[in-house]
Amino acid sequence: MGTATGIIKALNSGIKHLAVKRFTLRYPEQKLKFVGDGYQFDPESGVAIAGLKGRHMLFHDHCTGCQLCSIACEGVAEAIAMVKVPDKWGQNAKSIMPQIDYGKCVFCGLCVDACPFYALYMSNDYELSSFTKEGLIYTPAQLQVKPQVQQDSELIIDKRGARHG
Amino acid sequence: MAEQVIPTKKMPPGLQVENVDDRIMTLNVGPQHPGSGHMRIIVKIDGDYIVDADPDPGYVHRGEEKMAESRNYITNIPHLERPVIHDSCNILYPYVLGVEDLVGIEVPERAKYVRVIAAELNRCIYIQYWLAIYGIFLGHSTMFMWPAGDRELLIDLMEKITGARVTHAYFIPGGVRNDVPANFEDVCLRQVNYFEKRIKEYADIFYDNPILKARTEDTGVLSREDAIRLGTTGSVLRASGVDYDLRIKEPYDVYDELDVHTNVLKSGDSYARSKIPWLDMLESCNIIRQALEKMPKSGSIRTKLKPNPKGREDEVYRRVESGRGSAGCHIISRGKPEPYRLKLSVSSFRNLIALPYLLKGEKLGNMPAVYWSLNYWPVEADR
Repeated sequence: MGTATGIIKALNSGIKHLAVKRFTLRYPEQKLKFVGDGYQFDPESGVAIAGLKGRHMLFHDHCTGCQLCSIACEGVAEAIAMVKVPDKWGQNAKSIMPQIDYGKCVFCGLCVDACPFYALYMSNDYELSSFTKEGLIYTPAQLQVKPQVQQDSELIIDKRGARHG
Repeated sequence: MAEQVIPTKKMPPGLQVENVDDRIMTLNVGPQHPGSGHMRIIVKIDGDYIVDADPDPGYVHRGEEKMAESRNYITNIPHLERPVIHDSCNILYPYVLGVEDLVGIEVPERAKYVRVIAAELNRCIYIQYWLAIYGIFLGHSTMFMWPAGDRELLIDLMEKITGARVTHAYFIPGGVRNDVPANFEDVCLRQVNYFEKRIKEYADIFYDNPILKARTEDTGVLSREDAIRLGTTGSVLRASGVDYDLRIKEPYDVYDELDVHTNVLKSGDSYARSKIPWLDMLESCNIIRQALEKMPKSGSIRTKLKPNPKGREDEVYRRVESGRGSAGCHIISRGKPEPYRLKLSVSSFRNLIALPYLLKGEKLGNMPAVYWSLNYWPVEADR
């Protein structure tokens, strides 16, 4: 193949893509849809359920304050601290629950694997940026709130290529 | 020639005096991102030609091996995949296999297949990133955009399986952490088929492009003997005509049940070294399709492990074929929950030794083409 033919072929290959739909996702307007409601773990079978590893969800009515999540995090990021909570729960004698610092968390999900009481899950919320470092520390009360997420954009593959819609 | 510099008094230890030549200029390339990640190449040039090159890694040393000694076998997982976050499954693979040997647990059949699929997807993700940077190194900005965009297809897949786009922390001694989502086989097959169709288009615009060939052919030729003698591995070794792939030579998990072919090119120049990873991606697509077909449709995914597993008093060395070449992990256990010593043998560091030999006599403009064709990842080399 001559040099000219090769260059023309290369240019042609690029020009063909003018007709292809845009693949990029327009992020703040469009958000990618994820599988399920986030990463969860079933301690009975010892297997997790697939989902996005985003911000944690803490179920106050299940948490016993056993600190296993905090111990699991010690070797990873030291992001979990156990703090006192004002309300009294029957199963939680010491009234301590995890507080997570997202400035340190690496979203590995080993804390979720460590929880034997179905109290700590991860959710689809990944927009956690804050102007201050203190804003990244989520108290047990903040972790209890179910995130409002609107993620509906999915990958579509057809004859004209791949796009998000 | 300049006059010889003779030290008049005794120099303090560590200081060296070298002769200054009028013709030879020393040039520091880096340490601020000559490619991706911090490393420096000290090149001595005579006009436009490189006389001597000395790679100087170590700017991103993070002490992964020392850190591993104070963490148990499970909490080691998130930080051990940090050296190559784009290839996190493959860099973790030898560690997980080694811990399984030490703890003595069997892996369910389905988990082995899922691991192979995840590892092959990760290999493609890594190579796409590498290829994007190779494109922009050679001034081919389309080749930066295309792989970076097509990589998203597989990143989306990995996100569906593991829940994270990079740094998956997915493999665990005893299997994988979670099962693949429902309907995954169809989605994976669809996306991998489209991905394969896309990467085949790279041939016209990049690999058959006469401009790229003029730039990379016959630059930085590594002969077959030198490739073996210097101990290079992976794509560098296979580009020099040595048929060596750990997926065939030392099959781990279910690679022996799959039909794996290696791609070997004989020329040993930068062009061959840049083409082998692309051929590997096409091969990976084949492997993923086979694994999806042969994978048991249901079954256990993870053997339950004790909360704080202790390894027996022994040492193991396991290695796998990562996106760059052989990645090994040597674990010494003294019967404690933490490894006594953990050593990562990474391919980036082993391939870097070829750089001074390849750059000698090349033009300075060819340095990026040779340097990045070594499939080198600075952070992995420094660990």
